[in-house]
Amino acid sequence: MAPVSDGVEAVGRRTHPLTAVAQGVIMAVAVAAGLFGTIVTGDGFGDLHPVLVVLVALAGGLVLGMIGGYVGWLFTRYVIDGTELRIMSGVVTKSSRRIPYERIQSVDIAEPVIARALGLAELRIEMAGGKDSRTSLKFLRLADARDLRRVLLGRAHGEQAAEPAEEHRSVITRVPPDRVMIGTVLSLDFLAAAAGALVLVVLAVWFGGIVVLLGGILPLGTWLAQIVARRVLQQWDFTLSRGERGLRIQRGLLSRTSQTIPYDRVQGIAVKEPFVWRRLGWQRLEVDIAGYAGQDGDDGTSSSTLLPISDPRLAAAVVAELMAGATSDVVPTPVPRRSWPFAPIGWRHRWIGADESAFVARQGWIERTTSIVPHPRTQSVALSQGPLQRWRHVATLAVHTPSGPVNAVGRHLDAGDARAALLAQLDRARASRR
Amino acid sequence: MDDLFLFAPVGGAWQSVSPRLASVRRILVAGVAAAALVAGAVLLLVLPHLWWIGTVVAALAVAGAAWGWIWAGRNQRSWGYAEEADDLLVTRGVLFRRLVAIPYGRMQFVDVQAGPIDRAFGIAKVTLHTASSETAADIPGLPAAEATRLRNRLTELGESRGAGL
Repeated sequence: MAPVSDGVEAVGRRTHPLTAVAQGVIMAVAVAAGLFGTIVTGDGFGDLHPVLVVLVALAGGLVLGMIGGYVGWLFTRYVIDGTELRIMSGVVTKSSRRIPYERIQSVDIAEPVIARALGLAELRIEMAGGKDSRTSLKFLRLADARDLRRVLLGRAHGEQAAEPAEEHRSVITRVPPDRVMIGTVLSLDFLAAAAGALVLVVLAVWFGGIVVLLGGILPLGTWLAQIVARRVLQQWDFTLSRGERGLRIQRGLLSRTSQTIPYDRVQGIAVKEPFVWRRLGWQRLEVDIAGYAGQDGDDGTSSSTLLPISDPRLAAAVVAELMAGATSDVVPTPVPRRSWPFAPIGWRHRWIGADESAFVARQGWIERTTSIVPHPRTQSVALSQGPLQRWRHVATLAVHTPSGPVNAVGRHLDAGDARAALLAQLDRARASRR
Repeated sequence: MDDLFLFAPVGGAWQSVSPRLASVRRILVAGVAAAALVAGAVLLLVLPHLWWIGTVVAALAVAGAAWGWIWAGRNQRSWGYAEEADDLLVTRGVLFRRLVAIPYGRMQFVDVQAGPIDRAFGIAKVTLHTASSETAADIPGLPAAEATRLRNRLTELGESRGAGL
């Protein structure tokens, strides 16, 4: 695209002016939440009444945050040109970040609850590699954020049109909130936390020690609340839809997130079946994407969840859609019985296998994980053996992927099988690259 | 069943790394051991009535140096690499053995590093990076010329066979 309006391009566009307000409120809430913790634990503030302290903190945080947000907004501009997106920011230290379109891995829109109330959204751009691979532009009007995402994703796929058409989307599935809730209640960490809370209450009543109750119930209660908040609030109205360029995930009750997963950026998929869920035939899908690097979002939820809860048929269909022809239904090579000292129960649940399209590794008897890595995504393959493994004539085979939930490792395989699998995997990876 | 075949090269033979790697590591081990020995001697002088503390420190330093001396030699001999048609193979370790195979097309970039002692002995370490942090493929103790040659060759192969991510 020729720089038609050079003057405008050099100056760039501003984010939305309400950014300052949103930043102020976010800061005020953060400060108040921090203080709330100290008040609950009983640290005093001299003669000041706690409510007064919180009010002062709220007002102070609001004013400071708004000033900071306003100044930041004043000095932040972005430019979309023919080859890259540039974001200029900084009051004292000027920084200019260049994002070449071809390095964009994915573009997400996040609407933190406060920004959402103001009709604003944050644009998150993931690039391949490195720690600082995420760039965020906050805040924009939701419609503007959507437009910008469309342009960026279009350019990332080599489309040169100034205004790429909105792609045609069809919904694959919508996970009802009650299903996520039931799934959460039946997950082991929730059950453990709930059982722990129950034991504490019983003990406290038995011994009449209210101190024991307070000391133990608070952390356990926050843990429970966190589990519920993370799973249920973040995955409320989880919608997975399909477009020409990739899958899109929309989720969240208070803060909404809209993620795009381009088909050609998927490095591997992990099918997770927790202990209780497995009995009911439920699964969770998590995905490895270069750039996400397994990092948890600011909202405390992993951005790698592809399907929070699903039945095996739908899960298999989604896997096949993201990675052509891949399936977890391959001929398994189990680990030998003699590897039992390393995993007295787990050894029965471990195997590796491969077909023409993907390498598959399964492990875990509490949470069963099946990792699927398409052959073209094999980064490297390693074989290792420690002294105890040598004694049992077993070895570990690992297929390396970019960091994320996928962990394609066959631990304690028969040494001969492991060596054969290494050679076969190198051949398959080589064939798939041709 | 013998597991020796497990870490055999796929075709051809392992290229070994320079014995000077062992020398460099022995110098480092000797340095640390000497410092510990001095510390033990100082403790003996300062706390004569607690003589056993200084003695234990000195004995540990000597034992550690002896173990490090042997380890350096064995570890150096365990390293090997092989440039196959499509992959680079690296093996290492005596007790905990590892073999990693990296397709040339998967390499993102190649590093060459050499510390001051390495440079005095004319050796360098080549590290290969893929998109996965687990790859962890480095080859220490390469003669400087060989390190440069390997880096150039790997970069060239990586470019000609690169497949993006």
